[in-house]
Amino acid sequence: MSLTARVEKLRQQSLEAVETLSSERAELLTEFYSQEIGLVSTPVHRAMAFRYLLEHKSICIHEGELIVGEKGPAQKNAPTFPELCCHSLEDLDVLNHREKTSFKVSPETRERYKKTIIPFWKGKSMRELIFNEMTEEWKAAYQAGVFTEFMEQRAPGHTVLDDKIYNKGMLEFQAEIDDRIARMDYLNDSLAYEKQEELRAMHIAASAIIGYARRHAERALELAAEELDERRRSELLEIAEVCQHVPAQAPRNLWEALQSYWFIHLGVTIELNTWDAFSPGRLDQHLFPFYQQGINVGELNRESAEELLQCFWIKFNNQPAPPKVGVTAEESGTYTDFAQINLGGVRPDGTDGVNEVTYLLLDVIEEMRLLQPSTSIQVSKKNPDRFIKRATKIIRTGFGQPSVFNADLIGQELIRMGKTILDARGGGSSGCVEVGAFGKENYNLTGYFNLPKVLEITLHDGIDPRTGQQIGLATGDPRGFQSMEEVFDAFEKQVNYFVDIKVRGNNVIERLYARYLPCPFLSILIDDCISKGKDYHDGGARYNTTYIQGVGLGTMTDALTSLRHHIFEQKTLPMGRFIEILEADFAGQEQLRQKILNRTPKYGNDDDLADDVMQCVFEIYYHAVDGRKNTKGGEYHINLLPTTVHVYFGSVTGATPDGRKAWTPLSEGVSPVQGADHKGPTAVLRSVAKMDHVRTGGTLLNQKFTPQVLENDEGLDKLVQLIRTFFRLDGHHIQFNVVDAVTLRLAQQHPEQYRSLIVRVAGYSDYFCDLSKTLQDEIIARTEHEAF
Amino acid sequence: MVGRSLSTEQLMAEIERDRLFYDQSGGGVTFTGGEPMFQIEFLEETLLSCKNQGFHTVVDTSGYVSWEGFESILPFVDLFLYDLKLMSESKHKHYTSIPNQMILNNLQRLSRAQSHIIVRIPLIPGINDDENIELSAAFLAGLPYLDEVELMPYHEIGLGKYQALGMKYKLESTQPSTRKQVEEVEEILTRYHLPVKKRFSGRTE
Repeated sequence: MSLTARVEKLRQQSLEAVETLSSERAELLTEFYSQEIGLVSTPVHRAMAFRYLLEHKSICIHEGELIVGEKGPAQKNAPTFPELCCHSLEDLDVLNHREKTSFKVSPETRERYKKTIIPFWKGKSMRELIFNEMTEEWKAAYQAGVFTEFMEQRAPGHTVLDDKIYNKGMLEFQAEIDDRIARMDYLNDSLAYEKQEELRAMHIAASAIIGYARRHAERALELAAEELDERRRSELLEIAEVCQHVPAQAPRNLWEALQSYWFIHLGVTIELNTWDAFSPGRLDQHLFPFYQQGINVGELNRESAEELLQCFWIKFNNQPAPPKVGVTAEESGTYTDFAQINLGGVRPDGTDGVNEVTYLLLDVIEEMRLLQPSTSIQVSKKNPDRFIKRATKIIRTGFGQPSVFNADLIGQELIRMGKTILDARGGGSSGCVEVGAFGKENYNLTGYFNLPKVLEITLHDGIDPRTGQQIGLATGDPRGFQSMEEVFDAFEKQVNYFVDIKVRGNNVIERLYARYLPCPFLSILIDDCISKGKDYHDGGARYNTTYIQGVGLGTMTDALTSLRHHIFEQKTLPMGRFIEILEADFAGQEQLRQKILNRTPKYGNDDDLADDVMQCVFEIYYHAVDGRKNTKGGEYHINLLPTTVHVYFGSVTGATPDGRKAWTPLSEGVSPVQGADHKGPTAVLRSVAKMDHVRTGGTLLNQKFTPQVLENDEGLDKLVQLIRTFFRLDGHHIQFNVVDAVTLRLAQQHPEQYRSLIVRVAGYSDYFCDLSKTLQDEIIARTEHEAF
Repeated sequence: MVGRSLSTEQLMAEIERDRLFYDQSGGGVTFTGGEPMFQIEFLEETLLSCKNQGFHTVVDTSGYVSWEGFESILPFVDLFLYDLKLMSESKHKHYTSIPNQMILNNLQRLSRAQSHIIVRIPLIPGINDDENIELSAAFLAGLPYLDEVELMPYHEIGLGKYQALGMKYKLESTQPSTRKQVEEVEEILTRYHLPVKKRFSGRTE
């Protein structure tokens, strides 16, 4: 189906809207907190602030829209969260002027920040509180780039909804809340009052969202009264009816289901600046009953359902990720907020989860071709090949979506982490690749952990050679190490030491959020916050997981393999000399560097000489993190994913023993070092599968192809089988980069970074870098021809 | 230059690594070259091992080998990819420096033995895309058994390699066939009721 004129126009508006930093929320919040309220418990105070925001923020119903509501006062107007981190004037200028992913800051906004917002919030934000509470060791490690901290400018998130809002309205949640308060045991429960206050806050937040929806209903009626076009007038009246009904009550049809979700999405992301926005999760399963019922009663057909979904899609694309502050404002390079929609997988009863709406949503993804929302397919062995093949046709078009997950493995991962089988089946992936039990879990990514940096510190006896500061343990002069075991031992001690520092910091930060920034609205939506009478930030969720994401596994593996091979086995050179060469960034040692790059076992080639080192690194990191207790009654687990931090981590890490030059990017996810794999995609998958993915909460693997590899049915079938086989080997996730001509030109200029790039040549595929310049040019020309 | 010597055992170990992928996709091992049948003893031994291990096997051949060679590997080959370049003996001799009688005879015998065969015709403008197409089609139509005919249109991929090796590239002025030309040849083959693998079908624009 081609886009309707309405959708075409809304989509175009969304694409053309300029990302703008809006001070509306910051101003309203400043107004609210300037009022004298007297003694009020923190959760209730937060709920009142939430209500104030929703009572006063602008209401948007754009021309032609069917699904309504914006986070800011217009499309792509991003609100700010001064209670978390307040933008400085310099931040605003950086955001306004930087070349890529900028946010327009009007002179008026800047003025308001200068006059009211900055002076009011100075010394009051969570970010300042966090940095004040961190130890010197924490700050030293943070500044050295050993780890990052997620909570310093965004609130705990990665949260995904289950099906509850499709079965219940806010009024029913309020009845549950009232019932819980009525049953409170004030005689025996010493926390009864705290619970009562949290529940009262939830009640206020529920009323606030109902009020916000009804403001849209009123606006729709006003617009309808002025509307001359008959058709649009009846649509506006219908919008008014929908907004009057949801989310106060359970949705009665597809339109109401989508609008209800959207109000809730806005509520969560206006209440706090949650990481990775908020996600609807298993949308195909949630919407299927509404779709089926609409078709049955003749209220819907496939086309009208598709149009509603397309309108819904545009709403996600209208919300850029919140503008960052400080160094992150300079470095952050994406507008995407990682809200993820999951398709396929299994149903809670374990049967095939693919349905008609799955295919409908795949059509929508392909037709809309928008940056947001992110989409993924959850592939179970129970799903038909047709489903995967349909998705590969979208992957082939080269915009990186949908990504592909192993639903059966995710189930095992969740069960290993203590979920019931039903909750595990209702879960999936969100953000990048992280897993959780949707609607029942608070699972937080708390920061990336730079494994190669820790090796660098290990090789300098606890000193960061970049600054000369002693920031790690003194684990001994590596020149004295007699065996690889001693290297591993010292490295393991350093990893444990830095993880201790990180966990100590996390455990303080978790309490700061629980105490100062409860989120009563989000707490309504996540089981079992209501029945426990506890906030989402305070252990209210049924499951509470804290993740720390390891970065640079490929670099780490090749670096240690190189040490073992060249220092202890081949005895190419002594340790002391090697360290000097690394400190000099291989200056004058290009021959040695080439020998290391080309004559040393490398991860990603199904070579056990490297892959067993990968397993050792995995075990060290796993044991350093997994199973530690967090402050919410849950545990720590690991992820292996980088988003884009492997570039930053690389920029603070000197030359590594795998031949990597100083300050260049680390490997990403669980992928091999860029260009180190040269035995084809199946060898990469076999290497990667030697890791025990089931003991993680998510790993990320990238593979690159050119469009020609996938141009006909045969190519797509092969891709489907490649995915199936990787998942038989218990891989967690794979995403396919179908590269464009720009990438191919970069590969021509920097072949060393693109050695594993495979292109379809004629009747066969080959490594791009192995082709003659002429042929490369020819393929680039072809690619351009095929690109959109 | 490139390549390395391997024993059957070493090669089998390499093949074994990808077993799961073959299991899943229905794929297997293709022996290609050069001419794999020039190493007939090694080929026979490895094919036998492959069959013992349950792998699907394909042999890609020019057909210019003695029939005894084919006979020895026949039981272990699931599919032959068989090149058919030129029907005219003199032209064949001119362009490839060898006669084609043995190639044609072997193809007939292979077909009579009911082997699975995909015949592949390299389509080289100005050399074999003239009356040779009709002659080839007639010959193939006379075979008792054939799985598929596939055209392999000329491309310039070898150019870079010739340059790198300092060798003279003799087809410098030859242009690759257009899609229309390829489809016209496919059309001729189809008229002879041959099972033609359409080059551009299944490709979504």
